[in-house]
Amino acid sequence: MSKSMSKRTTNALLNTLTWAVVALSLLPILWMVLSSLRNYSDVASGQQLDGGLTFQWQNYVDMWVNVDFFSYFKNSLVICSITTVLATASATCAAYALARFRFRGSDTVSVGISVTQVIPGMLFFLPLYMLYKNIGESWGMTMLDTYHGLIFLYVALFTPASIWIMRGFFVSIPRELEDAAIIDGCSRFGAFVRIVLPISAPGIIATATFIFLLAWDELFFAWTLTSSSSVQTIPVGIRLFIGQFQQRYDLMMAAATVSTLPVLIAFLVCQRFFVKGLAAGAVKG
Amino acid sequence: MHILPGSIVRKKKFDAFPYLLLIPAVLMMLAVNLTPIIEGFMMSLLKLNQYTLSQYLDAPFVGLDNYRRVLTGEHSPIRAGMTLALRNTVLYTLAVSVLSIVIGLAVAVLLNRNFPGKNLARTLLLLPWIVPSYVVGTLWGFMWQRDVGIINIVLCDWLHLFNERPFWLLGSNSFWAIVIPTVWRGWPVMMLIFLAALQAIPEDQYEAATLDGVSKWKQFLHITLPLLKPIIVIQFMFQIIDNVYSYNIVSMMFGNGAGHPGEWADLLMPLLTRQSFSYWLFGQGAAVSFVMMMIMLIFVGVWMTTFKRSMTSDE
Repeated sequence: MSKSMSKRTTNALLNTLTWAVVALSLLPILWMVLSSLRNYSDVASGQQLDGGLTFQWQNYVDMWVNVDFFSYFKNSLVICSITTVLATASATCAAYALARFRFRGSDTVSVGISVTQVIPGMLFFLPLYMLYKNIGESWGMTMLDTYHGLIFLYVALFTPASIWIMRGFFVSIPRELEDAAIIDGCSRFGAFVRIVLPISAPGIIATATFIFLLAWDELFFAWTLTSSSSVQTIPVGIRLFIGQFQQRYDLMMAAATVSTLPVLIAFLVCQRFFVKGLAAGAVKG
Repeated sequence: MHILPGSIVRKKKFDAFPYLLLIPAVLMMLAVNLTPIIEGFMMSLLKLNQYTLSQYLDAPFVGLDNYRRVLTGEHSPIRAGMTLALRNTVLYTLAVSVLSIVIGLAVAVLLNRNFPGKNLARTLLLLPWIVPSYVVGTLWGFMWQRDVGIINIVLCDWLHLFNERPFWLLGSNSFWAIVIPTVWRGWPVMMLIFLAALQAIPEDQYEAATLDGVSKWKQFLHITLPLLKPIIVIQFMFQIIDNVYSYNIVSMMFGNGAGHPGEWADLLMPLLTRQSFSYWLFGQGAAVSFVMMMIMLIFVGVWMTTFKRSMTSDE
């Protein structure tokens, strides 16, 4: 009797501890949102907790209109959406080839994918910058400071890791389904598109979410390869804003909150697939 | 391995289908990964500065001179601060990787029980990881502010832990000012991975031990940890790789491109970009990239050989 009592106490303690960890890890996010809703002088003097329920929604208007955050937001949305579609497509095709076929060079491709993770493109940003600059100068195709330059780079950077995630999904699909479709007169490409892709929808959604999160978070190349505000993405915008308005933490936190929203929504909508896929892929190695 | 049985029969005839599927991915990897490595190696042998930059690969050949300059330090702006940035990167990478894995594993064990709201807790715990890292840098840079930051308000005004408000973004404190936010954003995904691994361990592994009266802690040490070892070994390597190239949090926390993170918060990637573009020393910058590449390849090679057995033991 006393043993089950002590067990119950331990459990209650552990539950409390769990929720304490949850609360503690969420506090910075709550602080960001609260600070974005306080007026300038309260935020500048650390008095966000005073002020009760009167919120300064005007911060969001100022940030959106006066600082022209809208233009950065639009650029991020366009670049990241196109990147997500293209990278998911290329990763899905490549992963299917690696999961289902054994062919000359398949090991080389697999090793190459792993190597891109150890020495990522960002390590060689100077050659990449020069390459982009010279493609523009000698071939007349401007790559620096353009949407397509950044999108091409992002698709190429995020494809390899996505191939591993998708490959895990394809391996877990029984190939009897494709065999049956091929016997029924379907071409192999037809079997891939009409049989395999629909069943792998959860995997594709998980991969697409993963790519969108990565692209949304990319500052390094956005900073080094773009220079005009018609192309610059949110992280570049916020970084430039910090340089100009160092003390406007109220607006900075409003911008930070708004730029967290799209990825938060993407995550919450897709988390059923995403969490499972990510964990499964990682555990399988 | 899942291989279509037909593919063995078809092997004699050249089969273009898998190659067609791979073309886009492989072409992009060649363009964005392989070409810059080769081009970077060529650049590292050239005298590429602001005067010769327009000559690109026709710039004067200087052999290993760039390597000598960045390694032994002869008035090279790229070299300046490199030792500190290297030290910080090593310490930062180790601190972030170890803390993320330890906290992630501990919370995964905490979550691997049945209690009301378990799924909600897991979702909420993942949220810091969803916050973009540039937002993490901006937000924590704001929270670390000496006079108006919430951290000093809590530590000094509420808990009275310090008599005088510490500067978090100056001196050696700034090292922890970049480690803590990175861990805050990094451990949730470790938690997720360890939780999935813990749930895959069958209950009966623990039943005999419980009957023998072995304590939970000893069960964790002698049953759980050995089973998790392959995952820990792999994830630790991924953590190291990720954090060595860390850039976003430091560059956002310490202001715009001109901001200097100071001698305890500067990391290799922020230093390399800042110095290369301020002084237009692309030859020396490329030499540093090449040295870093060799270090990472050697690290991963040594790690994989050392832990080869434990990494493949689960297959």
